[in-house]
Amino acid sequence: MKRFSYLYILIFVLFNLVACINPVSDFEQAAYLKFITVEASLSDLTEAQKVKLYWSADRIDGTSGFTPITGAKVWLTTASGSTINYVESGVSAAKGVYSSPDTFKGAVGETYTLHFRLSNGKEYESSPEKMRKAPEIENLITRFEVNDVYGKADPRRAGFNIYADFQDDPAAGDYYQWFWKHYERAEFCVTCYSGAKYNFATTNCDPPRIPTDEVWNYICSAPCWNLTFSNELNIMSDALMNGQRLTGKKVARVPFDNYSKYYLRLEQRSITKDAYDYYQSLSNQTQNTGTLFDVPAETRFSLNIKSKSDPTEKLLGIFDVYAVKKEFFISTVKQAYLLTKGH
Amino acid sequence: MRKITYIAVFTNNKTIVFPQTLIYMIQQLRKAALLLKILLLLTAIGSSNSCYAQNKTLSNLLEIAGKVTDSRTGEPIANASISLDFKKSGFISDTLGVFKLYLPNGEYVVKVSAIGYKPFRTRVVLTKNVQLNIELDEISKTLEEVIVSSQATRKDIQTPSLGVTLLNIKGIKKLPAMMGEIDIIRSIQTLPGVSSVGEGSNGVNIRGGNVDQNLIYIDDMPIFNPTHLFGLFSVFASDAIRELELYKGGIPARFGGRSAAVLDIKVTEPSTEKFKLSGGIGLVSNRAMAEIPIVKEKLSVLVAGRVSFNDFLFKWLAPDNMKGTKANFYDFASKVFYRPNKNNTITLSAYLSKDYYQVDSLFSLENVIASKTQFDYGHQNASIHWSHYFGSKLSMEIVGITSLYKTRTYAPDSVNNIDLRNQVFYNNLKAQWDYLPDDKQKINFGISGIRYDIQPGSLNKDVKSRIAAVEIPKEQGMEFGIFVDDEYKFNNKLTIQAGLRYAHYLALGAGTVNTYLTTEPKSLNTIVSTRTYSSGEVMKSYGGFEPRLTMKYSIDEKNTLKLGYNRMQQFFQLISNNTTPLPTARWKLADEFVKPQFSDFYTIGGFHSFKDDIWELSAEGYYRNAQHILDYVSGANLQLNKNLETQIISGKGKAYGLELMLTKRRGEVNGWLSYTYARSLQQMLGDFPSVQQISNGDWFPSNYDKPHNFNMLVNIQPSKHHSFSFTFAYQTGRPVSSPVGLFQIDNQRYPVYIARNNSRISDYHRLDFSWTITNPSLKEKRWEGSWTFTVYNIYARQNAYSVFFKPVAYGVRPYELSVFGAPFVSLTYNFKFL
Repeated sequence: MKRFSYLYILIFVLFNLVACINPVSDFEQAAYLKFITVEASLSDLTEAQKVKLYWSADRIDGTSGFTPITGAKVWLTTASGSTINYVESGVSAAKGVYSSPDTFKGAVGETYTLHFRLSNGKEYESSPEKMRKAPEIENLITRFEVNDVYGKADPRRAGFNIYADFQDDPAAGDYYQWFWKHYERAEFCVTCYSGAKYNFATTNCDPPRIPTDEVWNYICSAPCWNLTFSNELNIMSDALMNGQRLTGKKVARVPFDNYSKYYLRLEQRSITKDAYDYYQSLSNQTQNTGTLFDVPAETRFSLNIKSKSDPTEKLLGIFDVYAVKKEFFISTVKQAYLLTKGH
Repeated sequence: MRKITYIAVFTNNKTIVFPQTLIYMIQQLRKAALLLKILLLLTAIGSSNSCYAQNKTLSNLLEIAGKVTDSRTGEPIANASISLDFKKSGFISDTLGVFKLYLPNGEYVVKVSAIGYKPFRTRVVLTKNVQLNIELDEISKTLEEVIVSSQATRKDIQTPSLGVTLLNIKGIKKLPAMMGEIDIIRSIQTLPGVSSVGEGSNGVNIRGGNVDQNLIYIDDMPIFNPTHLFGLFSVFASDAIRELELYKGGIPARFGGRSAAVLDIKVTEPSTEKFKLSGGIGLVSNRAMAEIPIVKEKLSVLVAGRVSFNDFLFKWLAPDNMKGTKANFYDFASKVFYRPNKNNTITLSAYLSKDYYQVDSLFSLENVIASKTQFDYGHQNASIHWSHYFGSKLSMEIVGITSLYKTRTYAPDSVNNIDLRNQVFYNNLKAQWDYLPDDKQKINFGISGIRYDIQPGSLNKDVKSRIAAVEIPKEQGMEFGIFVDDEYKFNNKLTIQAGLRYAHYLALGAGTVNTYLTTEPKSLNTIVSTRTYSSGEVMKSYGGFEPRLTMKYSIDEKNTLKLGYNRMQQFFQLISNNTTPLPTARWKLADEFVKPQFSDFYTIGGFHSFKDDIWELSAEGYYRNAQHILDYVSGANLQLNKNLETQIISGKGKAYGLELMLTKRRGEVNGWLSYTYARSLQQMLGDFPSVQQISNGDWFPSNYDKPHNFNMLVNIQPSKHHSFSFTFAYQTGRPVSSPVGLFQIDNQRYPVYIARNNSRISDYHRLDFSWTITNPSLKEKRWEGSWTFTVYNIYARQNAYSVFFKPVAYGVRPYELSVFGAPFVSLTYNFKFL
């Protein structure tokens, strides 16, 4: 569908002086519901493939949290007949996360099916998803751009736009997603306010009996990085540009927050049609809200994962099979250049 | 010195008391709204003179002598009361209609009022004795001041028509208009039964109907998109419009093709006698209209246009990187009137509208690379009417109409050019006869044939670009109608208007029709075979009768009961998944898979008039049942889709409501109050519920379901030179989908939605004010100017335009966006040259 996410700009500008945004104070949820959620991705990167199973939160303000689903059996089958078993993480902070053997990674051209059985015996299965080749990123341009739609205090106002060029495969039916991670060198690992001191045992700031206006910054003992991720879904289908060289495609918008160097990892992923459809609907409901030109907010349940016993059971999440080409690079306000290529 | 004791108004202590009240009033006013200040200050200016009377002596009093008579009969009016400077004087006219006042010299406002008459006001500068001859107009005989009237009661509740509202443009011009821009679509939203999804919506929803279910005619030329600037203003050049009729129910058989309501707009017939020029200068647009007689009594021409000049708004107000935004529109109407002889008239009408935008970073099309997108869209319509009178009993009208609605979305670029075009081409030929065999009967019958040619989407045709060329097959169709309406007056109490329309529709080739597996939902993977039809071949036909019935029963002179039923079919609809359709949305003809919509509409009304028909109370209840309305599967892709049937869910709609309205039709203060309870619900459940259902297949409120509506209009016209209007609107907030939980993918949190429209935005209410000063110079000249000062949203209600959810620390939080969060003040200058 059409995305008119910026259409409200027009209305905003016309009524620049009078438009305003207010939080809804008396909001009450119409219902409180939880669903089994599957966050499963399989890539051709040499890193453990992960499947996360949890119950979604029934409160939108996040006060109820996600409940990990532990004790499930998770495995993968391939069209060529092999089976890969996943193991649940033993770390208490990573409950409900199931990982493949470290040596396992997806192969372009292979078709995978995800299976899992909960401790109550209910079994679920994905539709077979084929890993498609991801094209190389041929060129990257970084530009510092200010987005005036947002107010001066809004972190979305300033940032780097990153544009990529690549060659689409001559065969139709390619779907892309861009994803970035931003590593920022952290000078301080902890900051305690009001005169509080850091307690290394409890990893908390212990406030003094009488609060003062002192602020304590604790310098990191080892190189330490703050990580930020893409906060927008950036996807594209080659439906209208099949086989073309795509130039100047905006693949990331990285918010600007200081003048230090930006270490970025940009992934160009080749995703499946199911994943594209899924992200498309997520993008519609999160990125297009706020105008009369919105399409209806609808959550797509069970797009490629279904219960074997009850196909109408509603599941959230997606089995996302993709191949990756990635770039690391450094960017500053004044310049942007490739750091390494192909790593 | 001796004080004057026998002139009641200015006596003694009052001269002292008044200034105090004035101070008190001003203190109160500081707290009150701007508008009240203006109004009351006016009063205060008039009243401030009343401190004068202190210490004046009888010797320097002057005389105001008056005689009050009925303007029509010339009879004297006794007991008319005389007020001075907005305060009662206690003086009344005698049996000969005569009164006399003695006042010191100075300036006075004299008001003469009598029961049943329109008050008379004048300003007297008293420097010598004055004689006033005052003629009062009887209220029940004055012309209606009111902006709208249900035609039913306008003709003294004598016609059976029901749910019909006649609006005159003079009245509409008095309504407070947003940004001073007179707007028909906004004005009709003050009527019961008419609503919209919000400010900036692309059309109106009438009695639970969708925007594309309204037939909008301007001199019989259909309008496919009634708004400019993405729904902010309506397209019609208001100067050129004579009147409009809104049929919410009881639709005569001569109208067909849409399933909800009819808005029939008539362009002014240019005067064959006298040259006239009028126009206006406003914040958003400039307007001009000329009526030019060419051959006296035979040939005349009307030309009217309106042009916006918004670009400066963007230049002034927009942030730097948006200065490239452009938004302009114009519309143009013309009419040639030719009457060769008494029995024949020929009129040619033309109507053009155009919108143009250029918006940075706006992309209209998915999966392309574009930084700057331009849009334009508009109508190019023309019609010819030939009326022939065979005699006093029979007349005939033959009409030819052509209408072309085109939209274009484009992004010029070195390699990634985009050029997307849609268009609807409509041609209609119709003939109708009016036959009046006797006093009791009126018969209207006729035939109509429409040819539709739709280009649903053509991307990059003959354009060099890396973006593919896509051509959605053109659609063709014919719609034939034959109709008869017979209004029969059985006696003074009972009149029945019975009508019947038969409509037949043919979907024509060239084209292709897929056959799908019947065991699975339609998708590209379930196509079994494809049949190709050659040009002109009938691919599918639909047809059906549309009975129309209205009846009126007068219980007595003041009370009337009416009943109505009509069925309407629609072979042509807008495909849009947005809350309000985009101007570039695609139109679709009925075909093998998209069945014609039809609706059955039942209505009952009671009317009561009182106090010489000055007041009118009406109650109308309705129930509407609609079939084959469309919705779309989750994640539907509608643009540039060759197999739309794979995206569609067909469902049902129902709407019901009760509309109560109290109208004061005449007098210095007139207007109306209305309350409407209205519901509009839909149910979408296809053959394959796993993908083809919305909200589990349950009934859900439509986007425009707003149960409680309250509207008020007060129009005050104290003199020929001033008129004040207030409008107030209250509506239940529109429905929105609200999440029931939260989940997370790739470190991003997303709300979970399970039902459509399960919550509402906060209630909407707003008060507007307008003040029109006509001919401020007060001199009788051929040039007549007027200023209209408008305040939109006086008390700065931050009405929610939409609700959206933004991520916060651990979840998402709802926010409301208000577009007009502060009063919007505008000033318009209008002129007339007669």
